[in-house]
Amino acid sequence: MFKKLLFLSLSAGILAGIAGLIYNRAYHFAMETDFSKVINPASIFAVCIIACVVASIAYWILDRFLKDKTDIIFNILFAIGSFATILSPLSIKLPLDVQNPELFPGLAIPMHFFPVLAWLVLKPLFVKNKYVRIS
Amino acid sequence: MKKLIYPFVALLVLATSVFAVIKSQDWKIKEGYSIKFDAQNPVGVFTALKGDIRFDEKNLPSSKFDVSIDVASINTGNGMQNTHAKSEKWFDAAKYPTIKFTSEAITKTAKGYQAAGMLEMHGEKKATIIPFTFAKTPSGAVFNGSFEVNRLDFKIGEPGGKSSEVIKLDISVPVSKS
Repeated sequence: MFKKLLFLSLSAGILAGIAGLIYNRAYHFAMETDFSKVINPASIFAVCIIACVVASIAYWILDRFLKDKTDIIFNILFAIGSFATILSPLSIKLPLDVQNPELFPGLAIPMHFFPVLAWLVLKPLFVKNKYVRIS
Repeated sequence: MKKLIYPFVALLVLATSVFAVIKSQDWKIKEGYSIKFDAQNPVGVFTALKGDIRFDEKNLPSSKFDVSIDVASINTGNGMQNTHAKSEKWFDAAKYPTIKFTSEAITKTAKGYQAAGMLEMHGEKKATIIPFTFAKTPSGAVFNGSFEVNRLDFKIGEPGGKSSEVIKLDISVPVSKS
């Protein structure tokens, strides 16, 4: 189980990283901004992989206790956690030589949802869903 | 008549050269200037400065600063703080788009120079003294100055709060001969 979750986290992290990289390029091109001092390809991949590994560990721990309810609880927690992290790009203080910091949240906030999306999209390929049957 | 031409030309040359000596050097503001402010929270910079600088160490009476800062160029490093700083509660950039300083007298001091003049900010004018140094460089010169202003003197923001009432400004302006 843990091995599958580890592969899932690495795959999801790489997928989220690729999506982040594409979005970063598109945003840079469309808005004519340069946040390379704050966000670069290496940091995008590192953060995405770390987020997905942490998610997998959290899933594995929750599964120890919740069994059939793991998916429901984990999905809610992962979504809430991702949503909560958007406070950081809103409150971050960028270096003063970085122009247009008001455009930074538009770049960073969507990226905060890439790991959760990638992880949930790829999960059925690695781990069988556990649903609570409501009858 | 011919005899009069040469003395006249000599007089003209002399008058022109005297004028050239009296007139102070005009300086052009170069890229790379910095206008930092520190109100404890926030700390930031203004990134747009323009104006006329006439300065001659040997002729201070004819030296003059007439510079302005674009309020909208404020950068605190945080988008929300920038928007807040430009809002009606603080600088009101839409109504008062520039901060202006016009010197009235420049004098020598023990540490360098000081420019006494009128600082206009947020629609308020206050007599202000800006101490500064002037250092020549291979490509021109650099003006460096540090001074403090009380934002409440200019009716900026409310008393108290996270932002210090006394704002420290550090200015560095590289210039070239124009």
